[in-house]
Amino acid sequence: MLRRTVILMTAVLATAAGAADTPPAIGTILKKLEANYRMASDVKAQVALTQQKAGQGVKAIEMQYYRRDRDNTFVIVMTAPEAEKGNGYLRVGDNFWMYRRNTRTFQHINRDESIGGTDARGDDFETRNLTELYEGAKGPDGGEIISQEMLGKIPTWKFEVTAKVNDVDYPKKIYWTQKDNDLLLKEEAYSSSGTLMQTAYYLKYTQVKGRYVPVRQMFIDEFEKGNKTIVDLSNIVPEKLDDAIFTKAYLENLSK
Amino acid sequence: MNFIMQMSLRNLVRQKRRSILLGTAIAFGTMILIVANSFSRGISDVLFNKVMSFVSGHVSVGFSEKGRFQQQIFRDGERMIKLVRDNVPELNTLEEAIGIMARVVGNGKADNAIMVGVDLGAEASPEELKLVEENFKVIEGKFEDIGRTDVENPVLLSNIKADFINVKIGDRLKVRFTDINNQRQSARLTVTGIFKPANVFMQMPMFMEMKTLKKMAGYGPHDISQLYLKLKDPKKNAIPVADRIHGLMTPRAAVIAGEAGAGGRRCGVSVLGFNTDSASLSALPRAVSVVSGDSACALGKGGIFATRELADALGIRAGDTCAVTWRLKLDPGEMTAGFVVNAVVEAGAGAPALYVNEKDFYESYYHHWPLSTAKDSGVFTPAAGSPLAALAAGEWVLLRRSKTTKEFQEQYKRIAKQKFKGVAVDVRSMYESASAILNLEAALNIITLAAVMVLFFIILIGVVNTLRMTIRERTREIGTVRAIGMQKADVRNSFLMETGFLSLFAALAGTAAAFLVMAGLSALKIPTEDNPLSMLLVNGHLHFVPAAASIIGHILLIMAITVGTAWFPARRAANLMAAAALRHYE
Repeated sequence: MLRRTVILMTAVLATAAGAADTPPAIGTILKKLEANYRMASDVKAQVALTQQKAGQGVKAIEMQYYRRDRDNTFVIVMTAPEAEKGNGYLRVGDNFWMYRRNTRTFQHINRDESIGGTDARGDDFETRNLTELYEGAKGPDGGEIISQEMLGKIPTWKFEVTAKVNDVDYPKKIYWTQKDNDLLLKEEAYSSSGTLMQTAYYLKYTQVKGRYVPVRQMFIDEFEKGNKTIVDLSNIVPEKLDDAIFTKAYLENLSK
Repeated sequence: MNFIMQMSLRNLVRQKRRSILLGTAIAFGTMILIVANSFSRGISDVLFNKVMSFVSGHVSVGFSEKGRFQQQIFRDGERMIKLVRDNVPELNTLEEAIGIMARVVGNGKADNAIMVGVDLGAEASPEELKLVEENFKVIEGKFEDIGRTDVENPVLLSNIKADFINVKIGDRLKVRFTDINNQRQSARLTVTGIFKPANVFMQMPMFMEMKTLKKMAGYGPHDISQLYLKLKDPKKNAIPVADRIHGLMTPRAAVIAGEAGAGGRRCGVSVLGFNTDSASLSALPRAVSVVSGDSACALGKGGIFATRELADALGIRAGDTCAVTWRLKLDPGEMTAGFVVNAVVEAGAGAPALYVNEKDFYESYYHHWPLSTAKDSGVFTPAAGSPLAALAAGEWVLLRRSKTTKEFQEQYKRIAKQKFKGVAVDVRSMYESASAILNLEAALNIITLAAVMVLFFIILIGVVNTLRMTIRERTREIGTVRAIGMQKADVRNSFLMETGFLSLFAALAGTAAAFLVMAGLSALKIPTEDNPLSMLLVNGHLHFVPAAASIIGHILLIMAITVGTAWFPARRAANLMAAAALRHYE
């Protein structure tokens, strides 16, 4: 009898605890992630990419990043290594150019081209609405695939999203977001055949004008073991940037 | 004239040793010119007829969706294949070609490779099979093993690649690539065969059965990537056939003809796309007048607008959803799609129509090909010449015939820059696909000609010197013939003819020597294994293609140069005073 009572009590408490932590709609979390990502003002930051490739050692790239969300514009100026210094990328609306310091020429490129020979691509720097690209995946019972999970010592929502459009790198992703503030902590990206291709860890956040910005991220290539890229953001300054920065002339002048 | 000719020939024979030495030099230059020219033509011949026919066919029809060169797909393949088969009687074989860049991971090592689709059921001539065997000699397993169904995604790869990524027959390897939807894709492959490539350039391909590769890459049953045409008499037919196909590929207006419904009311409708590049969007407000709704949104990149006729028939307003149902061409049944109307416009056409931005339009159009087309009766499209006709999206964009590879690349850049959402179609013959080869041949010929001209410059100094010596030696003879009545012009012509005959005989001898040298060099067997130049050999032998017109041209050029050089000393001899010449003494 005592045992049955304990079981019953445990079940009730578990149900109560579950009711208190009813999973939110995945769309709601995606909207929060999206809102957090979008900056209210222009922003500039220093970005350091450290890329480790199996059997090829480590490649470090530093760049200055200027972003203006109101018209989906950004500029990247490479500052290291020496071979890349002065090269840059300019995105204005739908147009994306690569600037080469040596030849002082601009080349119109696709947004899916590599930045500085790394795994990072032009579209990684774009501001795109998550909710336009992904939606919550449905399980066999018709409900959204979302559950609670401890990520280390942090309670998180683990949920699966699938692409709404074709124009995305990965058709399926699994996110882990911190329960109390909806920060993205981990992300797994799957190919359409269901293979885990990449795991991203958002290791450190800082607050800039009331928004959380991930200042240290680690991307692990799950397909080719031993490859990983660490992205560090520093000197983040959210302020109105001169319109002249988002021009070809700005990149040209830097190399004079 | 006969007398002068005889005199010239006699003079040539009189100084045999001098003539032979000078003639040998001219013959040597001629031989070098002909051998080098035949060799460069041979390289072109090999590249065009032995390599390019495999790399891009004699004529290729390429398709690229959304302005992305790598996204090679056309979603109604049967239509294009039928169009080619029905209109190209010169066709030998028609094949689909697909090659996908991939990162391949073996046992602890990774490398880049190109996955190439092979249709094992396709027709192939004995020459083609022989060439495949020469370039990709299977050393383990069989080529046909890529068609096995008892293993997962069978693949044939080079021994160099297999060694590098540490795999052998029966091993599994992983590949990562970008599929046709531009998404990252991965797959497991099973090694069923290993080949030894003819040279290092041939180590990149990994051969897979076409159906397997297409399925992996996300192609549907009606999709094709590129078409390669192999023709009878390709040198003669490649360009005319490419021009003909290009003419037949002119796109019509893209239209989805179906039935629209909203609020229980229904009517026939034509759904058309409108181009959303900057120029088209700026012209759009002049083509239609917005009656109601959000004009900025409706006439923008993501806009959708209905004609007043459609709005009246369905009773819809801006913000309402219009469901359109149409019969499908490639699959049985119908498709229904909902379009949220941003505005109602007066388009002046008098027909119920819905205009959708090209991105959303092509998404419906290409993935659900409508049965009806613009040429069917009762299907509305904007009248030719009307402002809307110029802005309406076509079935595809046909790129103009490029003259060179560079021009073709420039066209693709423009398409990519415009962010065109449909399919770009290009038709190329092997001459445009490989204009670089033609440039290479031209460059080789120029280099050869320049080198031979330097040689001839030295030879011509000999010609001038010889003539000067001859004139000096024959000064009194010139005086004698002038004294007995020979005209100045005849004296000059006798020297010119002497030089002309010398260069003609020498050039003919040089030509004969060139053929002997080419025969000798062609007979040499050159090892092809691990030899990067083996691609330029035919069965392990150097390949020369002498051309009669070219040889005659070279002989005439050599004669013109030598005779031209002889002109001035000959004139000087002719201008000698008879009395002074007779007094000459050494």
